[in-house]
Amino acid sequence: MGGVVKLMDDLFGSMKFSEKAMDAAWLTNKTISQNIANVDTPGYKRKTVKFEEILKSSSAQSFEGLKTNSLHVDIGSSIDDENIKIVTENENLSYRIDGNNVDIDTEMASLAKNTIKYNVLAQSVNAGLKRIKTVISEGR
Amino acid sequence: MGYFDALDIAASGLSAQRLRMDIISENIANISTTRTSQGTPYRRKVVVFEAQDNNVRFSELLTESGKKNPLNQGGGVKATKIVEDPSPFKKVYDPGHPDSNEEGFVEMPNVDTVTEMINMISASRSYEANVTSINATKSIALKALEIGR
Repeated sequence: MGGVVKLMDDLFGSMKFSEKAMDAAWLTNKTISQNIANVDTPGYKRKTVKFEEILKSSSAQSFEGLKTNSLHVDIGSSIDDENIKIVTENENLSYRIDGNNVDIDTEMASLAKNTIKYNVLAQSVNAGLKRIKTVISEGR
Repeated sequence: MGYFDALDIAASGLSAQRLRMDIISENIANISTTRTSQGTPYRRKVVVFEAQDNNVRFSELLTESGKKNPLNQGGGVKATKIVEDPSPFKKVYDPGHPDSNEEGFVEMPNVDTVTEMINMISASRSYEANVTSINATKSIALKALEIGR
């Protein structure tokens, strides 16, 4: 039974990152929408999603660190939803007289970038599933 | 996180910008209105926008996902108030006008065509930006449906 679980983990493990990254991209899309909707709201500060930094620090999942102190933490703790954060950036910055710091050009560029990123991730998940399908059908 | 939150947020942006456009139209339409129910010339109106934060839905609280999920930030924009511009009325010399005072001056609304036109362009561009954001959300949602096909 444990072997089956291991096998499923091996099969779908590579997709886990893509799934999380897709979640993050979806949230980024929502955040950009929020920024665009509030482009004319006085005092509004733009929000961004912190995910890539967290992913970088936790992508070394296959290694196990040597713990010589009780304060040491695991290398590559799993990525939970709690690790994806929405932050308000540059709260003191405003380049408009109404205190708003949304730059519509930046937002539109991020929106386009994020859409492509999401599509890439969806395609990679799809490719992963196709590979598994090929294996199941013995390459036929 | 609700699946269609991004669409709702963009939709709130659309309706806010449309309301702004409505008010701009009203200002332009009343650019030379000297009589209102308050007895003064028409006063220019301005829409006040406010960012909506953290609208946790009932269904999310029910499933407890809303409680532990701190990502529920941002519910779009809301037009909270329509206020009147307190700036003084323009005085125009027109003794033949029925609303002119003893010196022959008529108080005209404090509406400036150029300002209104610029605000109108700004509103329509912001509207377009929100439409783009809806289209982007739609396209990625449809892409997600292709997974596993």
